Amino acid sequence: MRRWWLALLLGTLLVLPLWLDRELNTLMATLFVVAIAAIGLDILTGWCGQVSLGHAFFLGIGAYTAAALGGDPAGRVVGLGLDMLVWLPAAGVVAAAVGVVVAPLATRLGGLYLAIVTLGLVLVGEHLFREVTSITGGAGIGRPAPDLVLAGVDLDRTSSLRGIVSLDREMKLYLLCLALLVALAVIARNLTSSAVGRAFAAVRDRGAAAELVGIDLTRHKIVAFAVSSFYAGVAGALLATITGFIEPRTYGLLYSVEFLAVVFIGGAGSLTGVLLGAMFVTLMPRLVQELPSVLPFVTSGSSADGFPSTFQLQTMIYGALIVAFLILEPRGLLGLCRRARGHLPDWPLRH
Amino acid sequence: MITAAWVRRAAAPLACAATLAACGADDKSGSSGDVMFDNGVTNEPCPEAKNPGNGCIYLGTISDLSEGPFAVVGVEYTAAQKDFWDRVNEDGGIGGFDVDVVKYTRDAKYNPEEHVAKLREIEPHVLALAQSFGTPTTLAGLDIMKRANLVGNGATAWSGWAFEDDGLVLESGQSYCVESLNGLDHIAEEFGEPKRVLAVHFAGDFGGDAAAGAELWGARNDVEVTTLETAPNAVAGSQDAVLAAIRRRQPEVVLVATGPAELGEIVGKAVAAGFEGQFVGSSATYGPSLLKTPAGPALKARYRYVGPHAPYARADTGAHRAMQRARADKLPQSAAYAGGWIASYPLRRLLEQAAKKGDLTRANVRATVQDVTVDYEGALPPRRFGRGGATIERQAVIATLDDEAPLSTRIIKDVFVGSTAKDVTIDRACTADR
Repeated sequence: MRRWWLALLLGTLLVLPLWLDRELNTLMATLFVVAIAAIGLDILTGWCGQVSLGHAFFLGIGAYTAAALGGDPAGRVVGLGLDMLVWLPAAGVVAAAVGVVVAPLATRLGGLYLAIVTLGLVLVGEHLFREVTSITGGAGIGRPAPDLVLAGVDLDRTSSLRGIVSLDREMKLYLLCLALLVALAVIARNLTSSAVGRAFAAVRDRGAAAELVGIDLTRHKIVAFAVSSFYAGVAGALLATITGFIEPRTYGLLYSVEFLAVVFIGGAGSLTGVLLGAMFVTLMPRLVQELPSVLPFVTSGSSADGFPSTFQLQTMIYGALIVAFLILEPRGLLGLCRRARGHLPDWPLRH
Repeated sequence: MITAAWVRRAAAPLACAATLAACGADDKSGSSGDVMFDNGVTNEPCPEAKNPGNGCIYLGTISDLSEGPFAVVGVEYTAAQKDFWDRVNEDGGIGGFDVDVVKYTRDAKYNPEEHVAKLREIEPHVLALAQSFGTPTTLAGLDIMKRANLVGNGATAWSGWAFEDDGLVLESGQSYCVESLNGLDHIAEEFGEPKRVLAVHFAGDFGGDAAAGAELWGARNDVEVTTLETAPNAVAGSQDAVLAAIRRRQPEVVLVATGPAELGEIVGKAVAAGFEGQFVGSSATYGPSLLKTPAGPALKARYRYVGPHAPYARADTGAHRAMQRARADKLPQSAAYAGGWIASYPLRRLLEQAAKKGDLTRANVRATVQDVTVDYEGALPPRRFGRGGATIERQAVIATLDDEAPLSTRIIKDVFVGSTAKDVTIDRACTADR
């Protein structure tokens, strides 16, 4: 039954871009990529119990690796004009390699101390991305993302599928990001269901006991960092491609917090939870934009029009939800869904 | 067999899909009477329609409205543009259409990446941009504008817009480069020619253009000019590096092309530390609220404002009178209000011309840029855009800062063109040589 449900969902998602406009196709592609990044963070934080504030750093490494390898050679910044078949996996591999280098420092620590070290990583990354202007363009300037050429085919152009349907840039990105999400989600599910995944859970739940039964804590933490960084690198490259332009200040602490929010709002330690969290965090700003037409006291323009504006409301709602979930339902949206599923068959009866 | 559990599981994703599909509908081409149109134009009335029976032209606005270094400027600029297009609607709209500049207003926080993301978001739904704020941000989105035939009023005065954008970005007033030439020409007239000038600027083509103008002035007048790149306080933390450079180099004049907060820190701390020279600043750099800060007295004593046109309170131009009627004579908070109002004339003229031809498609609006001469109702001289005939505006307004004056800017030179600014040949972007 579950397979039928998944097949229905996948089928719906495959044909959905034909009905959505370009803006919404871009939003959905962003949702898929945010989910990829959050799956990586969930493997490290939710499954292996390693608190990391450094996810933004690895997203940035992936984005700039991809931009340098796939960017326009005639531009103001470094670009080698390589195909996506080269720069996309390279973004993941380079980010994973950096993760492997950094991981031994982190594996000696836990809890808040690990969080501070990964925060340090983000700060180092911010400085690096600001200063290496030949690759990043510098703060306030930025640079174009890699060219969207996959196996020699320019995905930027609108093309026709056997003369039946026209696929524009946004549709192609949607389908590409969906395919990558499915593939990487399956890999993540297999990983967490395997002996490695069980070892992660043991490291998270009781590290000392895990060590006693022969689980190598350091090796598994390094593997978790490497896998998490790979996912972050790939996601960073894809997010850069969706926007088409990247700027160093993006990859700061607040960016890391966004992905932590996806994991905790959705439900840590669960693939479904991460997907729910990605849906919520990505779609919420778009829904808030529609509020002025429904709630008359919310203004759609600048803050000169009055308080609150949609921009201010987005920020307020976002912060309030993170706090609310952490206090009221630590298992996140998945916990809420499970509770609702538990009560619904008997509703309205209480006993 | 379809069970209740199966329906429950499928309900959520199917509901999401249906909702999203209902939300999504790309704009379609069409016509109204004799006027053809495509993206961003519809026969349906605007959300706040002024003229019954009119369709709606949607214009996008991407500005700095909350957290960026120029939010003070962006908020006023955007408010002015809304008032400007409200006036257009009160006069009957354009070609049988009201104009909406609210629905597709987005905040990019002066961040190029955010700007491009917002541009991608609103581009399918708008005919043109009522505002594209900032030089590096607009440059970041230029490829999208080119491919989409999306013309826009630029809240940016980079000198390269006259040469490098195929007339897509409609700028008004002097460039930052010419602003520096005029500013330093005035300082030389008022205080004598300096021996050393320090040009402090943000990175990118806003600050870079101002710095290039300072270097050009130095080369023409045989004066030593040093440029120093800085960053907004949100990035750099403080302007201590600039203050150290002022102490070390001892310039007689410091030209500043940064945001208002950075200007206040530089002027206030430099004067407090004993600096005795003058400051002159880009039009985007000053905000009247600075006079209420501890830097206020130093700014009043040592700062000269260089801008493209009178800030607001002039009674002798149609544009300024119209602004004052729109505001019911209530003073705006800064000169950015006049900037936003005056910068809206090019797009209005363009749309009127395109509507007269019966074609409000994006392609025709873009093509019409080559045919248009813009009348600013006296606020600026008439201006042409496009290839081969673009006007290079050279006039400036010079002001001192005075609490008693409207918007705390007292004009000391109106319609000023400095000797260097008048004679220099500008046939490419000033930043091309940096």
